[in-house]
Amino acid sequence: MKRLITILIVLGFSGLAFGQNEESKPKDKAVWAPFESGYLIDNQTTVVPTAKTLEYIIQHKFGTMDNGFSDLFGLYAPGANIRMGLTYSVIKNLQIGYGITRLNMYNDFSAKYTILEQTRRNTIPVAVAIYANIGVDGRNNEVFGENYKGSDRFSYFTQLIVGRKVNDWLSLQVNTSFTHYNKTDSLIDHDKISVGINGRARFSPQSSILFQYDVPLKIKGIAEHREFTNPSKPNLGVGWEIRTSTHAFHIYVSTAAGIIPQHNAMFNQNDWMDGDLMIGFSITRMWSF
Amino acid sequence: MKNRIFAIAVLFVGVFALLAFTVPQEKKKGGPWEIPAEYKSMENPYKGDASLDKYGKQLYSKHCRSCHGNEGKGDGPKARNLDTDPGDFSDAAWQESVSEGELYFMSIIGRDDMPNYESKIVDDEERWAVINYVRSLKQ
Repeated sequence: MKRLITILIVLGFSGLAFGQNEESKPKDKAVWAPFESGYLIDNQTTVVPTAKTLEYIIQHKFGTMDNGFSDLFGLYAPGANIRMGLTYSVIKNLQIGYGITRLNMYNDFSAKYTILEQTRRNTIPVAVAIYANIGVDGRNNEVFGENYKGSDRFSYFTQLIVGRKVNDWLSLQVNTSFTHYNKTDSLIDHDKISVGINGRARFSPQSSILFQYDVPLKIKGIAEHREFTNPSKPNLGVGWEIRTSTHAFHIYVSTAAGIIPQHNAMFNQNDWMDGDLMIGFSITRMWSF
Repeated sequence: MKNRIFAIAVLFVGVFALLAFTVPQEKKKGGPWEIPAEYKSMENPYKGDASLDKYGKQLYSKHCRSCHGNEGKGDGPKARNLDTDPGDFSDAAWQESVSEGELYFMSIIGRDDMPNYESKIVDDEERWAVINYVRSLKQ
Protein backbone atom coordinates (compact mmCIF):
# COMPACT_ATOMS: atom_id res chain seq x y z
CA MET A 1 0.00 0.00 0.00
CA LYS A 2 2.87 2.35 0.79
CA ARG A 3 4.18 1.73 -2.68
CA LEU A 4 0.80 2.64 -4.19
CA ILE A 5 0.64 5.90 -2.25
CA THR A 6 4.18 6.72 -3.34
CA ILE A 7 3.26 6.07 -6.99
CA LEU A 8 0.18 8.31 -6.70
CA ILE A 9 2.18 11.14 -5.21
CA VAL A 10 4.98 10.82 -7.76
CA LEU A 11 2.50 10.70 -10.66
CA GLY A 12 0.56 13.64 -9.32
CA PHE A 13 3.49 15.91 -8.98
CA SER A 14 5.65 14.66 -11.81
CA GLY A 15 3.62 17.03 -13.98
CA LEU A 16 5.48 19.85 -12.30
CA ALA A 17 8.46 18.94 -14.41
CA PHE A 18 6.58 19.67 -17.63
CA GLY A 19 6.24 23.26 -18.73
CA GLN A 20 3.05 24.60 -20.22
CA ASN A 21 3.24 25.45 -23.88
CA GLU A 22 1.24 28.64 -23.58
CA GLU A 23 3.07 31.75 -24.55
CA SER A 24 3.82 34.05 -21.66
CA LYS A 25 1.55 37.02 -21.11
CA PRO A 26 2.23 39.91 -18.77
CA LYS A 27 -0.38 38.63 -16.34
CA ASP A 28 -0.19 34.97 -15.44
CA LYS A 29 -3.71 33.74 -16.11
CA ALA A 30 -5.34 30.44 -15.29
CA VAL A 31 -4.71 27.62 -17.77
CA TRP A 32 -7.37 26.93 -20.35
CA ALA A 33 -9.89 24.25 -19.43
CA PRO A 34 -7.87 21.78 -17.34
CA PHE A 35 -11.00 19.63 -17.47
CA GLU A 36 -14.14 20.06 -19.53
CA SER A 37 -16.53 19.37 -16.69
CA GLY A 38 -16.77 19.36 -12.91
CA TYR A 39 -17.41 15.62 -13.06
CA LEU A 40 -15.07 12.81 -13.99
CA ILE A 41 -16.92 9.46 -13.94
CA ASP A 42 -17.48 9.01 -10.16
CA ASN A 43 -15.15 11.80 -9.15
CA GLN A 44 -15.01 15.56 -9.06
CA THR A 45 -12.50 17.70 -10.92
CA THR A 46 -10.99 20.97 -9.77
CA VAL A 47 -13.19 22.75 -12.30
CA VAL A 48 -16.19 24.80 -11.21
CA PRO A 49 -18.38 26.18 -13.99
CA THR A 50 -18.49 29.94 -14.54
CA ALA A 51 -20.25 31.96 -11.83
CA LYS A 52 -24.05 31.98 -12.07
CA THR A 53 -24.15 28.71 -14.00
CA LEU A 54 -26.87 26.22 -13.14
CA GLU A 55 -26.01 22.64 -14.04
CA TYR A 56 -28.36 19.69 -14.13
CA ILE A 57 -26.89 16.20 -14.18
CA ILE A 58 -28.35 12.78 -14.65
CA GLN A 59 -26.03 9.89 -13.77
CA HIS A 60 -26.96 6.32 -14.55
CA LYS A 61 -25.26 3.02 -13.81
CA PHE A 62 -26.54 -0.24 -15.20
CA GLY A 63 -25.97 -3.70 -13.70
CA THR A 64 -22.68 -5.58 -13.75
CA MET A 65 -21.55 -6.90 -17.10
CA ASP A 66 -20.73 -10.44 -15.93
CA ASN A 67 -23.92 -12.04 -17.29
CA GLY A 68 -22.88 -11.24 -20.83
CA PHE A 69 -25.52 -11.33 -23.52
CA SER A 70 -28.20 -12.76 -21.21
CA ASP A 71 -28.90 -9.25 -19.89
CA LEU A 72 -26.99 -7.41 -22.60
CA PHE A 73 -23.92 -6.81 -20.45
CA GLY A 74 -25.96 -5.38 -17.61
CA LEU A 75 -27.97 -2.90 -19.68
CA TYR A 76 -31.16 -4.85 -18.90
CA ALA A 77 -30.08 -6.05 -15.47
CA PRO A 78 -32.25 -5.16 -12.48
CA GLY A 79 -30.99 -2.71 -9.90
CA ALA A 80 -29.71 0.13 -12.03
CA ASN A 81 -28.67 3.16 -10.04
CA ILE A 82 -29.65 6.71 -10.96
CA ARG A 83 -28.83 10.09 -9.54
CA MET A 84 -30.31 13.40 -10.57
CA GLY A 85 -28.66 16.53 -9.32
CA LEU A 86 -28.42 20.27 -9.60
CA THR A 87 -25.42 22.45 -8.93
CA TYR A 88 -25.12 26.21 -8.98
CA SER A 89 -21.94 28.29 -9.14
CA VAL A 90 -22.68 30.98 -6.63
CA ILE A 91 -19.53 32.99 -7.22
CA LYS A 92 -16.32 32.33 -9.12
CA ASN A 93 -14.91 28.94 -8.10
CA LEU A 94 -17.62 28.14 -5.55
CA GLN A 95 -20.37 25.69 -6.32
CA ILE A 96 -23.18 24.26 -4.22
CA GLY A 97 -25.32 21.30 -5.16
CA TYR A 98 -28.08 18.87 -4.33
CA GLY A 99 -28.81 15.42 -5.68
CA ILE A 100 -30.94 12.38 -5.06
CA THR A 101 -29.81 8.83 -5.75
CA ARG A 102 -31.87 5.69 -6.13
CA LEU A 103 -29.47 3.50 -4.13
CA ASN A 104 -30.36 4.04 -0.44
CA MET A 105 -32.38 7.05 -1.59
CA TYR A 106 -29.44 9.25 -0.69
CA ASN A 107 -30.11 12.98 -0.66
CA ASP A 108 -26.76 14.72 -0.93
CA PHE A 109 -25.91 18.34 -0.29
CA SER A 110 -22.52 19.34 -1.66
CA ALA A 111 -20.11 22.22 -2.00
CA LYS A 112 -16.93 22.57 -4.02
CA TYR A 113 -14.42 25.37 -3.86
CA THR A 114 -11.43 25.76 -6.14
CA ILE A 115 -8.87 27.26 -3.83
CA LEU A 116 -6.11 27.62 -6.42
CA GLU A 117 -6.14 27.58 -10.19
CA GLN A 118 -3.08 26.43 -12.09
CA THR A 119 -1.55 29.27 -14.07
CA ARG A 120 0.04 29.21 -17.51
CA ARG A 121 3.51 30.28 -16.44
CA ASN A 122 3.54 28.01 -13.40
CA THR A 123 3.28 30.80 -10.87
CA ILE A 124 0.77 28.36 -9.41
CA PRO A 125 1.75 24.92 -10.72
CA VAL A 126 -1.34 23.00 -9.62
CA ALA A 127 -5.04 23.51 -9.12
CA VAL A 128 -6.37 22.75 -5.66
CA ALA A 129 -10.00 22.19 -4.80
CA ILE A 130 -11.93 20.96 -1.82
CA TYR A 131 -15.16 19.06 -2.21
CA ALA A 132 -17.52 18.08 0.56
CA ASN A 133 -20.94 16.60 0.80
CA ILE A 134 -23.43 15.44 3.36
CA GLY A 135 -25.51 12.41 2.43
CA VAL A 136 -28.86 11.65 4.03
CA ASP A 137 -30.06 8.06 3.69
CA GLY A 138 -33.71 8.32 2.71
CA ARG A 139 -34.85 4.75 3.38
CA ASN A 140 -37.43 3.69 5.98
CA ASN A 141 -36.56 3.88 9.67
CA GLU A 142 -36.58 0.07 9.99
CA VAL A 143 -33.43 -0.19 7.89
CA PHE A 144 -31.42 1.38 10.68
CA GLY A 145 -32.32 -1.21 13.30
CA GLU A 146 -33.10 -0.66 16.94
CA ASN A 147 -32.56 2.62 18.77
CA TYR A 148 -33.06 4.53 15.56
CA LYS A 149 -32.08 8.18 15.62
CA GLY A 150 -32.41 10.70 12.81
CA SER A 151 -28.66 11.24 12.84
CA ASP A 152 -28.15 7.58 11.80
CA ARG A 153 -29.02 8.64 8.28
CA PHE A 154 -26.11 11.03 7.89
CA SER A 155 -22.83 10.40 6.11
CA TYR A 156 -20.05 12.84 5.35
CA PHE A 157 -17.43 13.04 2.63
CA THR A 158 -14.58 15.52 2.33
CA GLN A 159 -12.01 15.43 -0.43
CA LEU A 160 -8.90 17.41 -1.26
CA ILE A 161 -8.15 17.42 -4.98
CA VAL A 162 -4.85 18.46 -6.51
CA GLY A 163 -4.76 18.61 -10.28
CA ARG A 164 -2.42 19.61 -13.02
CA LYS A 165 -2.95 20.19 -16.70
CA VAL A 166 0.26 18.55 -17.84
CA ASN A 167 -0.05 19.60 -21.46
CA ASP A 168 -2.74 20.33 -24.02
CA TRP A 169 -4.06 16.81 -24.06
CA LEU A 170 -3.32 15.40 -20.62
CA SER A 171 -4.67 16.49 -17.23
CA LEU A 172 -4.12 14.53 -14.03
CA GLN A 173 -5.49 14.72 -10.53
CA VAL A 174 -4.72 13.06 -7.22
CA ASN A 175 -7.06 13.18 -4.31
CA THR A 176 -7.39 12.12 -0.75
CA SER A 177 -10.69 11.87 1.04
CA PHE A 178 -12.24 11.17 4.38
CA THR A 179 -15.59 9.41 4.71
CA HIS A 180 -17.67 9.09 7.85
CA TYR A 181 -20.96 7.27 8.33
CA ASN A 182 -22.86 7.90 11.55
CA LYS A 183 -24.24 4.38 11.45
CA THR A 184 -22.88 1.26 9.77
CA ASP A 185 -23.30 -2.46 10.28
CA SER A 186 -21.54 -3.77 13.38
CA LEU A 187 -18.49 -5.14 11.54
CA ILE A 188 -17.89 -2.15 9.33
CA ASP A 189 -15.90 0.88 10.45
CA HIS A 190 -17.47 4.31 10.57
CA ASP A 191 -14.48 6.06 9.02
CA LYS A 192 -12.53 5.52 5.84
CA ILE A 193 -9.64 7.33 4.25
CA SER A 194 -9.18 6.94 0.50
CA VAL A 195 -6.75 8.08 -2.14
CA GLY A 196 -7.25 8.25 -5.86
CA ILE A 197 -5.83 9.24 -9.17
CA ASN A 198 -7.79 10.24 -12.22
CA GLY A 199 -7.42 12.21 -15.39
CA ARG A 200 -8.36 12.86 -18.93
CA ALA A 201 -6.52 12.48 -22.21
CA ARG A 202 -7.97 14.64 -24.95
CA PHE A 203 -7.87 13.12 -28.43
CA SER A 204 -9.99 15.64 -30.34
CA PRO A 205 -11.20 19.18 -29.69
CA GLN A 206 -14.37 17.84 -28.06
CA SER A 207 -13.53 14.30 -26.94
CA SER A 208 -11.38 12.82 -24.22
CA ILE A 209 -10.62 9.49 -22.61
CA LEU A 210 -11.27 9.54 -18.86
CA PHE A 211 -9.88 7.27 -16.20
CA GLN A 212 -10.11 6.96 -12.44
CA TYR A 213 -8.75 4.69 -9.75
CA ASP A 214 -9.89 5.22 -6.17
CA VAL A 215 -8.45 3.15 -3.37
CA PRO A 216 -10.08 2.93 0.07
CA LEU A 217 -7.24 2.41 2.54
CA LYS A 218 -7.12 -0.14 5.33
CA ILE A 219 -5.61 1.93 8.12
CA LYS A 220 -5.37 0.19 11.45
CA GLY A 221 -5.06 3.50 13.27
CA ILE A 222 -8.65 4.48 12.55
CA ALA A 223 -10.10 0.95 12.48
CA GLU A 224 -12.55 -0.09 15.18
CA HIS A 225 -11.97 -3.82 14.77
CA ARG A 226 -8.95 -6.05 14.89
CA GLU A 227 -9.69 -7.44 11.45
CA PHE A 228 -11.16 -5.77 8.40
CA THR A 229 -14.40 -7.54 7.50
CA ASN A 230 -15.35 -7.09 3.86
CA PRO A 231 -13.29 -3.93 3.42
CA SER A 232 -14.36 -1.75 0.53
CA LYS A 233 -12.58 -2.33 -2.76
CA PRO A 234 -10.97 0.01 -5.29
CA ASN A 235 -13.12 1.71 -7.87
CA LEU A 236 -11.68 1.58 -11.38
CA GLY A 237 -13.27 3.49 -14.20
CA VAL A 238 -12.53 4.23 -17.84
CA GLY A 239 -14.74 6.41 -19.99
CA TRP A 240 -15.25 8.67 -22.94
CA GLU A 241 -16.20 12.32 -22.60
CA ILE A 242 -17.81 14.50 -25.21
CA ARG A 243 -18.26 18.20 -24.50
CA THR A 244 -20.51 20.64 -26.30
CA SER A 245 -21.42 24.23 -25.55
CA THR A 246 -24.01 23.33 -22.94
CA HIS A 247 -23.57 19.60 -22.32
CA ALA A 248 -20.98 17.12 -21.13
CA PHE A 249 -21.58 13.46 -21.91
CA HIS A 250 -19.71 10.64 -20.21
CA ILE A 251 -20.08 7.01 -21.11
CA TYR A 252 -17.94 4.71 -19.07
CA VAL A 253 -17.26 1.37 -17.45
CA SER A 254 -16.61 1.40 -13.71
CA THR A 255 -16.51 -0.91 -10.73
CA ALA A 256 -18.55 0.63 -7.94
CA ALA A 257 -22.34 0.61 -8.01
CA GLY A 258 -22.73 3.76 -5.95
CA ILE A 259 -22.79 7.22 -7.38
CA ILE A 260 -22.14 9.40 -4.36
CA PRO A 261 -18.50 9.03 -3.34
CA GLN A 262 -18.89 8.12 0.34
CA HIS A 263 -20.94 5.07 -0.57
CA ASN A 264 -18.25 3.81 -2.91
CA ALA A 265 -15.48 4.52 -0.41
CA MET A 266 -17.25 2.71 2.41
CA PHE A 267 -19.25 -0.12 0.84
CA ASN A 268 -18.00 -1.06 -2.62
CA GLN A 269 -17.67 -4.84 -2.82
CA ASN A 270 -17.33 -5.07 -6.58
CA ASP A 271 -13.88 -6.13 -7.65
CA TRP A 272 -12.73 -5.24 -11.14
CA MET A 273 -10.22 -8.09 -10.92
CA ASP A 274 -13.24 -10.43 -10.81
CA GLY A 275 -14.88 -8.70 -13.74
CA ASP A 276 -17.33 -6.70 -11.63
CA LEU A 277 -17.70 -3.82 -14.03
CA MET A 278 -20.76 -1.90 -15.11
CA ILE A 279 -21.63 0.46 -17.90
CA GLY A 280 -22.76 3.93 -16.94
CA PHE A 281 -23.33 7.34 -18.37
CA SER A 282 -23.70 10.93 -17.23
CA ILE A 283 -25.31 13.83 -19.02
CA THR A 284 -25.05 17.41 -17.87
CA ARG A 285 -26.94 20.45 -19.09
CA MET A 286 -25.78 23.93 -18.19
CA TRP A 287 -27.59 27.22 -18.18
CA SER A 288 -25.66 30.44 -17.72
CA PHE A 289 -27.36 33.48 -16.23
CA MET B 1 -64.73 6.65 -61.12
CA LYS B 2 -61.27 5.32 -62.03
CA ASN B 3 -60.72 8.29 -64.32
CA ARG B 4 -61.65 10.70 -61.55
CA ILE B 5 -59.17 9.09 -59.12
CA PHE B 6 -56.51 9.16 -61.86
CA ALA B 7 -57.21 12.85 -62.52
CA ILE B 8 -56.97 13.71 -58.82
CA ALA B 9 -53.70 11.78 -58.52
CA VAL B 10 -52.24 13.57 -61.56
CA LEU B 11 -53.38 16.91 -60.15
CA PHE B 12 -51.85 16.10 -56.76
CA VAL B 13 -48.50 15.04 -58.25
CA GLY B 14 -48.53 18.07 -60.56
CA VAL B 15 -49.14 20.52 -57.73
CA PHE B 16 -46.45 18.83 -55.63
CA ALA B 17 -43.95 19.00 -58.50
CA LEU B 18 -44.80 22.63 -59.14
CA LEU B 19 -44.33 23.51 -55.47
CA ALA B 20 -40.98 21.75 -55.47
CA PHE B 21 -39.77 24.17 -58.11
CA THR B 22 -41.38 27.32 -56.75
CA VAL B 23 -41.04 27.11 -52.95
CA PRO B 24 -37.59 28.44 -52.00
CA GLN B 25 -35.39 25.67 -50.59
CA GLU B 26 -32.72 27.92 -49.17
CA LYS B 27 -32.90 29.45 -45.74
CA LYS B 28 -33.58 33.15 -45.69
CA LYS B 29 -30.60 35.41 -45.21
CA GLY B 30 -30.42 37.43 -42.03
CA GLY B 31 -30.80 41.15 -42.57
CA PRO B 32 -27.95 43.60 -42.07
CA TRP B 33 -26.52 43.68 -38.55
CA GLU B 34 -27.03 46.78 -36.46
CA ILE B 35 -23.69 47.03 -34.73
CA PRO B 36 -22.98 49.78 -32.18
CA ALA B 37 -20.11 52.11 -33.02
CA GLU B 38 -18.11 50.99 -29.98
CA TYR B 39 -17.91 47.48 -31.45
CA LYS B 40 -17.26 48.62 -35.03
CA SER B 41 -14.10 50.39 -33.96
CA MET B 42 -12.94 47.64 -31.60
CA GLU B 43 -9.41 46.35 -32.19
CA ASN B 44 -8.37 42.72 -31.81
CA PRO B 45 -5.54 42.72 -29.23
CA TYR B 46 -4.72 39.10 -30.06
CA LYS B 47 -4.63 39.38 -33.84
CA GLY B 48 -2.00 37.03 -35.23
CA ASP B 49 -1.35 35.43 -31.83
CA ALA B 50 -0.54 31.88 -32.91
CA SER B 51 -0.55 30.64 -29.32
CA LEU B 52 -4.35 30.96 -29.33
CA ASP B 53 -4.88 28.85 -32.46
CA LYS B 54 -5.45 25.49 -30.78
CA TYR B 55 -7.71 26.98 -28.11
CA GLY B 56 -9.66 28.87 -30.73
CA LYS B 57 -10.23 25.60 -32.55
CA GLN B 58 -11.30 23.83 -29.35
CA LEU B 59 -13.72 26.60 -28.45
CA TYR B 60 -15.08 26.72 -31.99
CA SER B 61 -15.64 22.94 -31.88
CA LYS B 62 -17.42 23.22 -28.55
CA HIS B 63 -19.60 26.26 -29.16
CA CYS B 64 -19.90 26.91 -32.90
CA ARG B 65 -19.36 23.78 -34.95
CA SER B 66 -22.82 22.27 -34.42
CA CYS B 67 -24.36 25.07 -36.53
CA HIS B 68 -21.48 26.54 -38.52
CA GLY B 69 -19.90 23.21 -39.50
CA ASN B 70 -16.33 21.96 -39.45
CA GLU B 71 -15.17 24.41 -42.09
CA GLY B 72 -17.50 27.27 -41.23
CA LYS B 73 -19.70 26.77 -44.25
CA GLY B 74 -22.90 26.85 -42.21
CA ASP B 75 -23.55 23.16 -42.73
CA GLY B 76 -23.41 21.84 -39.15
CA PRO B 77 -26.01 19.30 -38.01
CA LYS B 78 -28.07 21.92 -36.15
CA ALA B 79 -28.06 24.39 -39.03
CA ARG B 80 -31.13 22.80 -40.59
CA ASN B 81 -33.21 23.81 -37.54
CA LEU B 82 -32.28 27.48 -37.80
CA ASP B 83 -34.64 30.05 -39.24
CA THR B 84 -31.86 31.95 -40.97
CA ASP B 85 -28.77 30.98 -42.91
CA PRO B 86 -25.76 30.92 -40.56
CA GLY B 87 -23.50 32.23 -43.32
CA ASP B 88 -20.26 30.97 -44.79
CA PHE B 89 -17.03 31.80 -42.97
CA SER B 90 -14.97 30.43 -45.85
CA ASP B 91 -16.31 33.19 -48.13
CA ALA B 92 -13.37 35.56 -48.61
CA ALA B 93 -15.60 38.46 -49.71
CA TRP B 94 -17.66 38.18 -46.52
CA GLN B 95 -14.55 37.90 -44.36
CA GLU B 96 -13.17 41.10 -45.86
CA SER B 97 -16.47 42.93 -45.41
CA VAL B 98 -16.52 42.64 -41.61
CA SER B 99 -14.12 44.29 -39.18
CA GLU B 100 -12.70 42.56 -36.12
CA GLY B 101 -15.10 44.42 -33.86
CA GLU B 102 -18.09 43.61 -36.04
CA LEU B 103 -17.14 39.95 -35.99
CA TYR B 104 -16.79 40.15 -32.19
CA PHE B 105 -20.30 41.59 -31.92
CA MET B 106 -21.78 38.99 -34.25
CA SER B 107 -20.01 36.11 -32.49
CA ILE B 108 -20.33 37.07 -28.83
CA ILE B 109 -23.33 39.37 -28.55
CA GLY B 110 -25.41 37.73 -31.27
CA ARG B 111 -29.03 38.22 -32.30
CA ASP B 112 -32.06 36.02 -33.09
CA ASP B 113 -30.77 32.54 -34.03
CA MET B 114 -27.22 33.46 -33.06
CA PRO B 115 -27.06 33.04 -29.25
CA ASN B 116 -25.33 35.38 -26.85
CA TYR B 117 -22.06 33.88 -25.60
CA GLU B 118 -21.10 36.48 -23.02
CA SER B 119 -21.88 34.14 -20.13
CA LYS B 120 -20.47 31.01 -21.81
CA ILE B 121 -17.19 32.45 -23.04
CA VAL B 122 -16.40 34.89 -20.27
CA ASP B 123 -12.72 35.54 -20.86
CA ASP B 124 -11.91 38.19 -23.48
CA GLU B 125 -8.87 36.27 -24.63
CA GLU B 126 -11.01 33.20 -25.28
CA ARG B 127 -13.48 35.29 -27.25
CA TRP B 128 -10.75 36.63 -29.50
CA ALA B 129 -9.33 33.12 -29.83
CA VAL B 130 -12.64 32.05 -31.37
CA ILE B 131 -12.67 35.06 -33.67
CA ASN B 132 -9.10 34.36 -34.78
CA TYR B 133 -10.14 30.82 -35.60
CA VAL B 134 -13.18 32.02 -37.56
CA ARG B 135 -10.79 34.26 -39.52
CA SER B 136 -8.60 31.25 -40.27
CA LEU B 137 -11.52 29.54 -42.04
CA LYS B 138 -11.33 32.03 -44.94
CA GLN B 139 -10.47 30.29 -48.20
